[in-house]
Amino acid sequence: MRRWLLRRTAQAAVTLAIAITLLFVLMRAAPGDPLSRLQGDRLLSREEIASLRERYGLDQPLLTQFGAFVGGLARGDLGVSIEYGRPVTSLLAERLPATLQLGGAVILLNFTLGLWLGVRQAVRRGSREDRWLTVASLGGYATPSFWLGLVLAWLVGVKWGLLPPAGHSDPLLDSGAGFLERTVDLLRHLALPVLTLSAVTIATTMRHQRNAMLDVLRDPFMLTARAKGLSERAVTWRHAWRNALFPVVTLFGLWLPILVTGSVFVEAVFAWPGLGSLAAAAVGHRDYPLLMGAALLTAVLVVAASLLTDLVYALLDPRVRLS
Amino acid sequence: MIVTGGEAPIPIPTLMEGAQATLANFEVADQLFLRLAALGPELITSGDRGFLPLLAREWTRRDSVTLSFDLDPRARWHDGVPVTARDVLFTMARARDQAISPRLAGLLRHIRSVSAESDRRIVFQFSHPYAEQLYDATFHVAPLPAHLLAALPPQELRRSAFMSNPVGNGPYRWVRSVPGQFLELAANESFFRGRPDIDRVLFRVAADPDARINLLLSGEADVMDNIPPPPANLERVAAHPDLRLVRVPSPAIGYLLFNQRDPRDLSRPHPILSDINVRQAITLALDRKKLVRAVFGTHGEVPFGPVSALLWVRHGAPPPLAQNQAMARDLLSDHGWADRDGDGTLERAGRPLRLQLTLPNTSAIRRQLALLAQEQLRQVGIAVEVVQLEWAVYAERRNAGLFDIDFNAATQDPSPSGLTQSWSCGGGSNVAKYCDTGVDSLLERAIRSRTGSRDTWHTVLRRIEEDAPAAFIYAPTYVFAVHRRFRDVAIRPESSWIALWRWSVDR
Repeated sequence: MRRWLLRRTAQAAVTLAIAITLLFVLMRAAPGDPLSRLQGDRLLSREEIASLRERYGLDQPLLTQFGAFVGGLARGDLGVSIEYGRPVTSLLAERLPATLQLGGAVILLNFTLGLWLGVRQAVRRGSREDRWLTVASLGGYATPSFWLGLVLAWLVGVKWGLLPPAGHSDPLLDSGAGFLERTVDLLRHLALPVLTLSAVTIATTMRHQRNAMLDVLRDPFMLTARAKGLSERAVTWRHAWRNALFPVVTLFGLWLPILVTGSVFVEAVFAWPGLGSLAAAAVGHRDYPLLMGAALLTAVLVVAASLLTDLVYALLDPRVRLS
Repeated sequence: MIVTGGEAPIPIPTLMEGAQATLANFEVADQLFLRLAALGPELITSGDRGFLPLLAREWTRRDSVTLSFDLDPRARWHDGVPVTARDVLFTMARARDQAISPRLAGLLRHIRSVSAESDRRIVFQFSHPYAEQLYDATFHVAPLPAHLLAALPPQELRRSAFMSNPVGNGPYRWVRSVPGQFLELAANESFFRGRPDIDRVLFRVAADPDARINLLLSGEADVMDNIPPPPANLERVAAHPDLRLVRVPSPAIGYLLFNQRDPRDLSRPHPILSDINVRQAITLALDRKKLVRAVFGTHGEVPFGPVSALLWVRHGAPPPLAQNQAMARDLLSDHGWADRDGDGTLERAGRPLRLQLTLPNTSAIRRQLALLAQEQLRQVGIAVEVVQLEWAVYAERRNAGLFDIDFNAATQDPSPSGLTQSWSCGGGSNVAKYCDTGVDSLLERAIRSRTGSRDTWHTVLRRIEEDAPAAFIYAPTYVFAVHRRFRDVAIRPESSWIALWRWSVDR
């Protein structure tokens, strides 16, 4: 186990190094730079642009810039955002909690409700419930998140006034508000973005789980389990479900980074202060330091998710050895 | 609760440079830090009258290059320390340092020296006589507290505790900022010009216009700045019984900028657009009123010259040319353009009258206008290909002069002297390389004129209109929404919330 962990960590470090180098080069190879945009938009003179270029080190050769970035990275310093004028690490740290709340809630909903519904569909294959859930999941899968978000925000937030149509928390909430009050406030704000993002992801989880369960339910060992006199609940959840989890765990590994940085539209529609919109704006602004920081975080998440997926495989299946 | 599209991460004078020179930062800074004087209701930037005292109680002109200011002795920083001449000197020294504040240093370049004659009296010396000396001395930067910052090296300020808890002298004091969400200010109880009636102000950030409108309509926000087109957005807000709309002149202007140089070889004149007749014909072929009405409804107008609704020189300017497609066709025909092959596009010497119109893909307004303009130009035989580019790519190509027609949208400050940036031969933002020495000398005369003659400025605008370096399309009026429980509402074009402390509220 230790050797496996060491090997995977070394692999992860190499992957990250390659990813960072590629990102750095590709970003600078892309047309446009952060300061020419300002020159066009905010009427800065050439002298001012030159001064800013020097301030941000953009006047240095590419290799020097890369060296400065790597040196900073080694010290835990990702530089200062050109657009925000603040340290990138602070910006990422400020946005990460909201991102984890949104992504975490969606994953939680997926791996509870989504899995449960998928299993129910498989167990009741061909029933009216299965057919309805299939239609619902396909509907959810086919619904664009940004459209659903707009409709929910207007209908639930504005028209019915049941939930806040946007934002992360109520700014008017008393600073002395207790934990419970704050949690309720957060959940109220979280509800619509989570519902919007989950509509697509739960549908996918349900379809994957249903199909995996159907495959497992056809395996001979299921007959054995039933022949041993096990209850249908035990057969389903203890024997079948555990074996049907593999494709869904893979899905989790793929989703984790996407949920962290990929929910740009939903963050925009609900004014959710997450990393997705921050990263998207950084791309548009060519805010190199912020973009590198966000990309680095995503790369770390991809690698971490892959590592976690392997660990979960091993936990689920004793035949998988971490060596 | 004000819902706004932009975050204000650094609302600190002298630090709002480069990408931080944003409207959001300026507007929050105006709540925290007072300038020496404010622009009057007419927004006239010339001369010494028409300004309102703020931090300075009064000012005196000593000669054509010297102005002295007397600080209001009641002025205090939020920590109770009196505001003194030392604060002004300290801030002006930082603002005029090219290494610290390149943008401000450029704007304050005509100030030769700033000195203190006493704790309350500051003297500004200018390098030469010109009309906007008072404007330059008061508008661009508000004093910072020297007693808190003088010991701090300039490069340390961004990392200092002052950033997370700035101490100002304005009507509102800093409470907290939750990045990406909101920024909270509280009334300065001992504000020397009178305690604000509104106790607490929250600037809530929602970059997406739909999210902002939803927050407003659901009652989660009291005020929304600049409701964006389409007009349907305004109709939704106007239909709300608790909200009223407030029209505010905007600093924005949009125009089709004609490149004078050939984008394929910048050393040569543009093969089509260097001809003034083609430029004039394009302007005449466009029904600009219809374009503005289609996108902005009644909340915009066609400008005369490169002048937004914010600039005082627009008052009394002649109306812009109306569409006249017959005249446009004649103008082109008289100069050899004809549709000889019957494909609907004019040609001259084998060269079709075909141009690319570039714009950023982030601007729905410009995209819609570009498509409408494309159709109007097609009717007179001018083929326009609309090319939408990603923002950074668009800006890079624009700055490099790689375009035929650029659909530019500029934001102007209240001073007409800023026009030199884009419309004088050596202007730093003159990417189309428009050059008319006559315009240059007129600009120079208008800027230097001590009286800031409106007539001289109108001559400048007329000359630019005749040259047609661009077709000036729109100067919108911003529309704000304000809850009806607020009274004495005044939203200022140069800084939306600068008069917020005078608003009152039904309790």
